[in-house]
Amino acid sequence: MTDETQLLRVEDLCVDLPTVSGLLSPVRSVSLSVARNETLAIVGESGSGKSLTATAILGLLPRSARVRSRAIELDGTDLTRLGARALRRLRGDRIAMIFQDPMTALDPCYRVGDQMVEILRQHRRISRKDAMERARGMLAQVGIPAPETRLRQFPHQLSGGLRQRVVIAMALLCEPDLIIADEPTTALDVTIQAQILSLLKSLQERTGFGLILITHDFGVVAGMADRIAVMYGGEVVETGPCDELLEAPLHPYTEGLLQALPSLRVGDGPLGLIPGVVPRQVGPRLACGFVDRCPYAETECSEHPVQMREQGFARATRCILPSDRPRDDRTVWHRQMGEDK
Amino acid sequence: MIEFLRLRGVCRDYNVGGVLSGNQTLQALRGIDLEIHKGETLGLVGESGSGKSTLAKIILGNEPPSAGQVLVGGAPLETRGRKERARLIQPVFQDPYSSLNPRMSISAIIAAPLEVQGYDTGKVRREKVREMAAMVGLPEHLLAAYPVQLSGGQRQRVAIARGLIVEPEMLICDEPTSALDASVQAQILNLLARLKSEMGLTMLLISHDLGVVRHLSDRVAVLYLGRIVEAGAAEQLLGSPRHPYTETLVGAALPARAGTKLPPPGPNAELPSPLAPPPGCAFHPRCSKADRTDCRERVPEPTVQDGNLVCCHHPNPSDLVARAVQPRTTFQFTEQ
Repeated sequence: MTDETQLLRVEDLCVDLPTVSGLLSPVRSVSLSVARNETLAIVGESGSGKSLTATAILGLLPRSARVRSRAIELDGTDLTRLGARALRRLRGDRIAMIFQDPMTALDPCYRVGDQMVEILRQHRRISRKDAMERARGMLAQVGIPAPETRLRQFPHQLSGGLRQRVVIAMALLCEPDLIIADEPTTALDVTIQAQILSLLKSLQERTGFGLILITHDFGVVAGMADRIAVMYGGEVVETGPCDELLEAPLHPYTEGLLQALPSLRVGDGPLGLIPGVVPRQVGPRLACGFVDRCPYAETECSEHPVQMREQGFARATRCILPSDRPRDDRTVWHRQMGEDK
Repeated sequence: MIEFLRLRGVCRDYNVGGVLSGNQTLQALRGIDLEIHKGETLGLVGESGSGKSTLAKIILGNEPPSAGQVLVGGAPLETRGRKERARLIQPVFQDPYSSLNPRMSISAIIAAPLEVQGYDTGKVRREKVREMAAMVGLPEHLLAAYPVQLSGGQRQRVAIARGLIVEPEMLICDEPTSALDASVQAQILNLLARLKSEMGLTMLLISHDLGVVRHLSDRVAVLYLGRIVEAGAAEQLLGSPRHPYTETLVGAALPARAGTKLPPPGPNAELPSPLAPPPGCAFHPRCSKADRTDCRERVPEPTVQDGNLVCCHHPNPSDLVARAVQPRTTFQFTEQ
């Protein structure tokens, strides 16, 4: 993953959080890369460390958090070497963020237009009037009808879908190289979700930003991603091109998650289950992180931590099992019938 | 098929607006006719603001309808007292983090409906709580615990146990899994499916996730701005939707499969304000099939064919293949 063409390259990112009950390690040695014009989806359940990874890349974690990494490079610039001020100049300019809930991302006390002008004037030498004009143009670009009216409105006067469009317009104002979208459509209805996702996709085609899409929804991933990174217990357990990964997941966790989803097509019969619960991320890893819940686990799995290994073209997984183990057998996921935890 | 619940022309208006905006009426539900049979699971889908949760409140008897009637087991809901209603119908809410009292132990939470009903002695109640916990797969040592010690999935099991302990006829599940992770969601869905087949439970399942609805429901009703626009057997309705709105919903659901494409953007995706719904068919500004006259001026009358209801001037033809497959349940709608 030392490709020079990558826009963002993260290597061995670790986050440790000191808490009352001991040191938590919610992110353990995460390596990622995104190219221009590419969408990387980070998928995982709550507690997998996906949001923390993004926050750590942006340098937005509280001071008590200990962040270590071998490299976080944006287009050749090492972000870990930058000071707080330089990082602040970068955020909102070359890296932009879209959060889950647009109501908390927008300031309720300021008009939409003023919030947008502020971002532009923070990063560019531009007159108030020109900035307002740019803001109007950007609202029109994200498909907001009557942008002049919207500029003068407050966030509470907009619907959820419109608010998320405003947030996207704000992210795009300074023409960023990289956008990190953390669950951008989770708070929206499916019909609006489809619109917001198509909007992001068409804007990407036009401006060529790299997109990191953080989500728990495999449907969104299937519709949006070029590549997928599946996270579990603070580690990336599998990466690969979107369609190939969905078609034939290599890691048992990915397989289990996909089995557990109810679909519009498949009829009756119980859903597959992943037995057990997500373990707390304390202490160093001495075995495979998924071994307690894995129906395929062998003795070797609990003897030492498992490293990422390449499997075929552009795919990698943190699993020692051969990639040609028997699959598509849902019964293996019914083994413990999870009913008693 | 024995009818358990029947709604006849149920409307619900809210007076909203304040000093500045003047008095406005929000018509959350407008003439709902619906039947739910014993042992059947009815899925209720629609966007936020369509009136799904209002309907649940009315069936629970927490809010009276502004017009129309709710009949439970043949008798009007309001003739039954609060306790009697609670014995017949119990809710399971969306967010298991706010629906459990943090200061009560798990066993007290599960036993609360029994206590309200004044059933049994303490000893018998404790026995029943243990039975219930075993039934929903809750480890016994957790009965003495408090909600804060439980995971989201365990909490939802507690909520389900509390709902079932008075052996109600019907369970109303309002987005029972939307606060849960995918792997936990599967556990809860399997549990509900098992309870349904073992206890013959009648269920109203409210969800925005069509996959969840498809998995559990026998029949589905689609709500749009307070009206039922389509209702029918789950397989048929979601497999070959007749109303353009159902089609939009099904098209917007993204399957977790290779090769999934985002749907092409429709004319207008925003739900119009329920305060000022469009005249005629309320869906016409968003509909690709809308014509200039009928759809804009006349509210479409519901038509019933093979027990499936659709409320549209230009419905899709009912799919011949889908019609060849017998629906899993038979049912009828009251003709207006």
